[in-house]
Amino acid sequence: MDLHLEPAHLAFREEVRAWLRANLPRPWRECLRDPAATEDSLMALRRRWQRTLYTAGYLGMDWPAAWGGRGATEVEKAILEAELAAADAPPILNLLGISLLGPALIHHATEAQRRRFLPPMLAADEIWCQGFSEPGAGSDLAALKTSAVLDGDHFVVNGQKVWTTFGPWADWIFALVRTDPKDRYGGISFLLIKLDTPGVTVRPLRQITGESEFGEIFFEDARVPRENLVGQIGEGWRIAMTVLMYERGAASLGHAERFGRDILQLAAALRRHGRLAGAAREKVARLLVENEVMRANGLRTLANFAAGKVPGPESSIEKIYWSEFDRRFRETALDLLGPGGQLARTSPGALPDVDWAREFLWARAGTIYAGSSEVQRNIISKRVLGLPQA
Amino acid sequence: MQFDLSDDQRLLRESTRSFLAAEAPLEKTRRAMEDDPRGIEAGLWHKLAEMGFLGLLLPPAVGGQGLGAVELAVVLEEAGRVCLPGPLLDVIVAAAVLADAGGHEPLLREIAAGASRVVVARADAPFAGAVQSQTIFSDGRVRGTKYFVPFAPAADALVVTTPSGPCLVRGPFALTPTPTLDQAQRFATVTLDHPASLLGPPALLTRSDRLAAVGASAMLLGLMSRAFEMSHGYAQTREAFRRPIGSFQVIQHKLADMLLRLESTRSAVYRAAWCVDANDDATALACASAKAYAGDAGRFVCGEAIQIHGGIGFTWELELHWYFKRTKTLEQHYGSTEEQLELALSALGY
Repeated sequence: MDLHLEPAHLAFREEVRAWLRANLPRPWRECLRDPAATEDSLMALRRRWQRTLYTAGYLGMDWPAAWGGRGATEVEKAILEAELAAADAPPILNLLGISLLGPALIHHATEAQRRRFLPPMLAADEIWCQGFSEPGAGSDLAALKTSAVLDGDHFVVNGQKVWTTFGPWADWIFALVRTDPKDRYGGISFLLIKLDTPGVTVRPLRQITGESEFGEIFFEDARVPRENLVGQIGEGWRIAMTVLMYERGAASLGHAERFGRDILQLAAALRRHGRLAGAAREKVARLLVENEVMRANGLRTLANFAAGKVPGPESSIEKIYWSEFDRRFRETALDLLGPGGQLARTSPGALPDVDWAREFLWARAGTIYAGSSEVQRNIISKRVLGLPQA
Repeated sequence: MQFDLSDDQRLLRESTRSFLAAEAPLEKTRRAMEDDPRGIEAGLWHKLAEMGFLGLLLPPAVGGQGLGAVELAVVLEEAGRVCLPGPLLDVIVAAAVLADAGGHEPLLREIAAGASRVVVARADAPFAGAVQSQTIFSDGRVRGTKYFVPFAPAADALVVTTPSGPCLVRGPFALTPTPTLDQAQRFATVTLDHPASLLGPPALLTRSDRLAAVGASAMLLGLMSRAFEMSHGYAQTREAFRRPIGSFQVIQHKLADMLLRLESTRSAVYRAAWCVDANDDATALACASAKAYAGDAGRFVCGEAIQIHGGIGFTWELELHWYFKRTKTLEQHYGSTEEQLELALSALGY
């Protein structure tokens, strides 16, 4: 039992802190509440920030250097993510490409595919969206119907993807497609599709926040070169499942930094309003406690990474914890702040440090995306607890 | 950096577990829990001393093992798993106060050997809120009334908290037993008008308070681990509607939620214990968070365990009720949830 960072990791953390002090133009929350900010300008800012990170060598932390990565480990990656969260750096634009597709290509693609796709992904020259969900396939992902039929050296793709995060901003989609209608899992393949392919239509969908970060994508006889298949035909499900395992990292540490800062902002606002007493005081204290336990979960994962242990399905516990805590936290914050907590960030009088209204709405997403809370509980039941399945 | 226990700590866990499995399974200890005025059989108490548990944190010079908060968590987690009766944690914490005060080597030696029992008398009121009577140290005497003194009938001396600081008071004491819903406890109200020695300023308790929080949280972790295992096993063997109840999603998700709280408690408890040993900047917040969270989690897990067991879970016969009750005791003592929440706020300047 030792939760001290190794000297090399401590040095890395200091290096990152110094770099952020010199290179982070301004905290993300200030970008968001800039009256001149638009959805386009914020996406452009995220692209620029991603390039800044990439140029400095802080993207693809745990990827081999041969494909543009840093060749470091999950530990440096988790330290970096916690520091980025602590400094309130903007999220990068190519989030899904780098967190999901990158590891899939590293583990399952050909050398030619890796060289072709990984560097522009890191440099934000090609933005990726994730094509998993369909109108009839959400939590039951294997019910997906978008078909890909081999015709010579092309796949002909027909169908629809939905809730496609970054769809309206992306150049490419990594999609799960059905290559065999009779084989539920073995009939799924993993295909990379350029969004300007004839027959592909992208439509933005307006989200609960009013933003259009996600969209829907239609395929009508879209011809996709066979060389864009990752792995073999029928390996898509296996690749997708291993990919989802990489999504985790020690994410709780970053969340604990960000939530912790926001909880202290909440406490400060309540104290200013003479409200940090009685029931409100207890609620804030409980948020602090839950956040600190989340940090402990993150430290445990980080320490396990450092000891060379890869997290298994128990990381579903972390996903449920942070996403459900996020929701409770934001709901509690709005309860305690009163009507002022619901002010849009552009409203006169809105609290400057946290966009409470947006966070409250946005917190509804975390318990749905990347495997809903219900799916995570199923994963725990089946793969951790080994309970009999109906 | 590693979260796992070291080899020595793992050995301690294994030896503690096999010792308790042989000497203190519930079917052996529950009679003492129900009937013995001291709450624990004298023979078992001496074996705890022989195992070195009573002097776990004390220096070898007084017969202790010189171990730290992580080892305390290891032992108390195992004690929780068997719902060990008696004042093990109380005596360890009182010994820590005496050790921090210095100059009490003969008494510490007796404590480590199991010859003297000293516990901390803290509560100034039976109910949360207003102080009923402030226990005062003046003119070399302690006067007042302490409530919920743990295992007071078996205590040879008390560490009594006062506004001046903790005081050492030797028995015998005039006491009134105050049974609670947890029949394994031997709480009593103690009326004091005794010669006493001041051990130090109130801040002397800082370290021992944190050790108490870590130890109680670790015991909660052990209690909920066992309650969870019982439920996990029961869900796979108990059938309803011609299926094991564990095949129903509603039971599966209950178990998943129990596991979430159990594992999160584990993260919090061992991190807090490590913080105490490493004197980390986050120690105050980590200890308060571990105890506050473990209290809630323990109640949740043991409560859901009863629910999953159904009618048998509500019986005296099944051992689950001892676990459920102990979590309630631990939640309210060793720094109640409410007190820990205040400590968490004050650690951050609120």
